[in-house]
Amino acid sequence: MDGIHKSFGSTKVLNGLSLKVDQGDVVAVLGRSGAGKTTLLRVINYLIVPDRGSVTFGETGVEETKEVIRKIRSRIGFVFQGFNLISHMTAAENVSLPLRKVKKMSRSEAMARAQRYLASVGLGDKVSSYPSQLSGGQQQRVGIARALAIEPDLLLFDEPTSALDPSLVGEVTGVIRRLSEQGRTMIVVTHEMGFAREVANRILFLEDGVITCDASPKDFFAATDPSVVSYLSAFATA
Amino acid sequence: MTRSSDTGNGRPLRRLAARLTVLGMLCLGLLVLYFFLSRVYPFDWSVIPRYKLLFFDGLKMTLSLSAFSLGLSVLIGLVISLARTSKVQIAREFGAIYVWFFRNMPLLVVILLVYYGVGSIVMIDRFWAGVVSLAVFEGAYVAEIFRSGIEAVPEGEIEAARAFGLYNSQVFGSVIFPRAFRIAIPPLVGQLVSLVKDSSLVSVIALGDLTMRARQVGTQTLATLEAYIVLAGVYLTITSLLSFLGNCLERRLKIP
Repeated sequence: MDGIHKSFGSTKVLNGLSLKVDQGDVVAVLGRSGAGKTTLLRVINYLIVPDRGSVTFGETGVEETKEVIRKIRSRIGFVFQGFNLISHMTAAENVSLPLRKVKKMSRSEAMARAQRYLASVGLGDKVSSYPSQLSGGQQQRVGIARALAIEPDLLLFDEPTSALDPSLVGEVTGVIRRLSEQGRTMIVVTHEMGFAREVANRILFLEDGVITCDASPKDFFAATDPSVVSYLSAFATA
Repeated sequence: MTRSSDTGNGRPLRRLAARLTVLGMLCLGLLVLYFFLSRVYPFDWSVIPRYKLLFFDGLKMTLSLSAFSLGLSVLIGLVISLARTSKVQIAREFGAIYVWFFRNMPLLVVILLVYYGVGSIVMIDRFWAGVVSLAVFEGAYVAEIFRSGIEAVPEGEIEAARAFGLYNSQVFGSVIFPRAFRIAIPPLVGQLVSLVKDSSLVSVIALGDLTMRARQVGTQTLATLEAYIVLAGVYLTITSLLSFLGNCLERRLKIP
């Protein structure tokens, strides 16, 4: 993505941000709230349309034609902070919804695949549970299974553990860690420092809608940039 | 985190016992009332069975009138609620004006306007005038019920469906409508019960519905109160059945 600008009303959220992510990269995005992290993720699949700038995915530009956007969305798995599972559908129906509606798979084929991916995140026995019957950690794992089942080229995680009980964070980060070991391309917005350090091979620091630091975890945590240092020290004392 | 499936108070058996007690007391009260009334009003029930065909005729009219306008009002409500939640400004305005007009107009006046107004331009059958009046009137209320249902669907669920590449129409069909409909069932059933009751107003354009037939029986036999008591009983039965079906539907579609 190149030169992305986005404002909501008079608030500039993204300020000419450019970013290139290569296949196999695991990018952790850090920054204070309001820095534009969530907006950055949503611009990638055009859930938020940028005011200026362009996004390219593989060889294709994400333009404003509905079909192109739809194609690209079907290759990007999105995991949300608030899980965003469809509450009137079971876990398996949630996972199979994009398969049936976008990938045009038959119901039985989609359900079989959904079961496989639910089992892969350790929820093989929760296939026919509704979201209200699952814990937060289980719901988020269903969310991850939903993103994986479309067999995406890129996975986007928007603060996947922020809405969870501290005791449930581990089961979700564990799944994500395993995915990074499989060499998947991922962009993870997170506040979990230790997790970012372990999982990512690149850490971005976002400030006022631009990337002020793009470094390996090792270099990032040794950074001398004053804003990064103050951000990190806030965590150290917390 | 399993939620309790029964939100009512106490066990079903105790609830039933409480309800039967209250109903029994109510019947007793009515009997007492009937007893005192019968001292001043000479009840004569023997004429009523002779007019059962007329009642039956009225019942048929009320039921078919209600059924047609019920279907049509849900359709109108759906379209208007879509207009009111649309991204297109013109559509939103149209929906708002529609709701404003019909919610601020007495149904009796709507019926008269449709029958005498529209009826003077095109030939319109009494029955269809009744159906259309009821449907456009109740449609405004149904639209507001659907709209509140649509607006109650969590934003995140819609965003998720869009993020995975579903078309807007698919998002509506798979995510928004099933949820909004569930939210809308209880008030919707109430509105449809209202529709059945409101249908009694069509007797002003001389449509032979239940109410009109009961009035005929009353004036022809002088057993006025008897006819109206029967009328009340029939309405109560129809609307109770409708509420019961609504409850069944609600329970069936309930998200655990």
